[in-house]
Amino acid sequence: MRTLYVSQQGCRLNLKQEFLQVQWRETLLQEVSLPLLEQVLVFGRSQVTTDAVRACLKRDIPIAFLSRLGYCYGRLIPIERGYRRLAHLQQSLPEEWRLRMAAQMVRAKLLNGRVLLMRQLRLRPTETGPLTLRSLEHLAEQALRTTSLEQLRGIEGAGAALYFPELGNCLQRPGFVLLTRTRRPPTNPVNAMLSFGYMVLWNHLLTLIELQDLDPYQGCLHAASERHAALVSDLLEEFRSPIVDSLMLWLVNTGVMNVEEDFEYHEGGCFLNDVGRKKYLKAFVQRMEGSIQTDEGEQPRWDLLTQQVKQIKKCIYNLEESYQPYRIR
Amino acid sequence: MFLYVVVYDTPSDKRRKKISDLLEGYGKRVQYSVFECVLDKDQFEELKFRLHKRIKSEEDSLRFYPLSSHTLGQVEIWGGPPLTSVPGSFIV
Repeated sequence: MRTLYVSQQGCRLNLKQEFLQVQWRETLLQEVSLPLLEQVLVFGRSQVTTDAVRACLKRDIPIAFLSRLGYCYGRLIPIERGYRRLAHLQQSLPEEWRLRMAAQMVRAKLLNGRVLLMRQLRLRPTETGPLTLRSLEHLAEQALRTTSLEQLRGIEGAGAALYFPELGNCLQRPGFVLLTRTRRPPTNPVNAMLSFGYMVLWNHLLTLIELQDLDPYQGCLHAASERHAALVSDLLEEFRSPIVDSLMLWLVNTGVMNVEEDFEYHEGGCFLNDVGRKKYLKAFVQRMEGSIQTDEGEQPRWDLLTQQVKQIKKCIYNLEESYQPYRIR
Repeated sequence: MFLYVVVYDTPSDKRRKKISDLLEGYGKRVQYSVFECVLDKDQFEELKFRLHKRIKSEEDSLRFYPLSSHTLGQVEIWGGPPLTSVPGSFIV
């Protein structure tokens, strides 16, 4: 997955022959060849010329416009793709099927969180560790036995209440603390990184879902609404720990992130600043492009996301098939 | 994914410019009329399709040599830019 991330403010993207050029004032910052590009993410206030937009649409390259902190305002998708062939199938999915799917997703989320913690706790045991691991395992089992979405969400919430404080215990640098998860706004650097990370990943998943012609608004676990792409949030669950949480731990514990220099405080919250955002994105991309052992041999992590989206599609075409969420092994 | 070595020869300045402009988008120029492109199957087909429209086959000559990962490791390079690798994402 080759993505162009424009996180510097005030850039201009224009078209030159087969290239997108990213310019800042008179300086050429980057030249990216169009045939090799798969998507463009524009964070904040950069301009894209109509020629560049047209070239991207012609080549089926979606452009997403996000706030500096990763909230997606909207995206440009070529009209030629046709319109939501799968959506009808998705709309008529039986409730029972949706609940089963949701249960699998919650279970995977809990178990992935558990594996991440287990690995950390093996290096540095804590007093609460063993109990947290046992409880998460127990909740994961419970998830499969639920008979309603409300029950399932309750289990998910209980899991989060156990998981995040323990994740906080794994942080080893002064200044970085996680007691509970806070969002809208995140209130400390760790929560700021988590929020930004989830948002970036969310937007990637949204694009992948769109690329596979699935309707992102038809979810299983999250409440479907006109304003919330529930399927994206569903799919995010299984990837939170393995991708975003573990990246945050790495960024903190190896000292990449600096608590003084990489964050800013405004509107009662804590956010990544320009420097921090770039650092984060760089590490995120490196991680996503790093290879990982999958069923199909060595693959970049990106492919894990695509694989899961394709699997959902397969399950929708054939309701007998049961969904296997991504699990850290 | 293959690494394709694409070489061309044409007597027409106009067509040479068009061919090289197009190839610039798909790979890296390693000599005057030699490009290295790391492409998947679809991208390669697309490149050929687009090149086809820009050449005159009576006069011009193009060659595409695919290198598998097996032979890629045996490539020797004396001078000039290093072997083209898979381009990653870009952060500005």
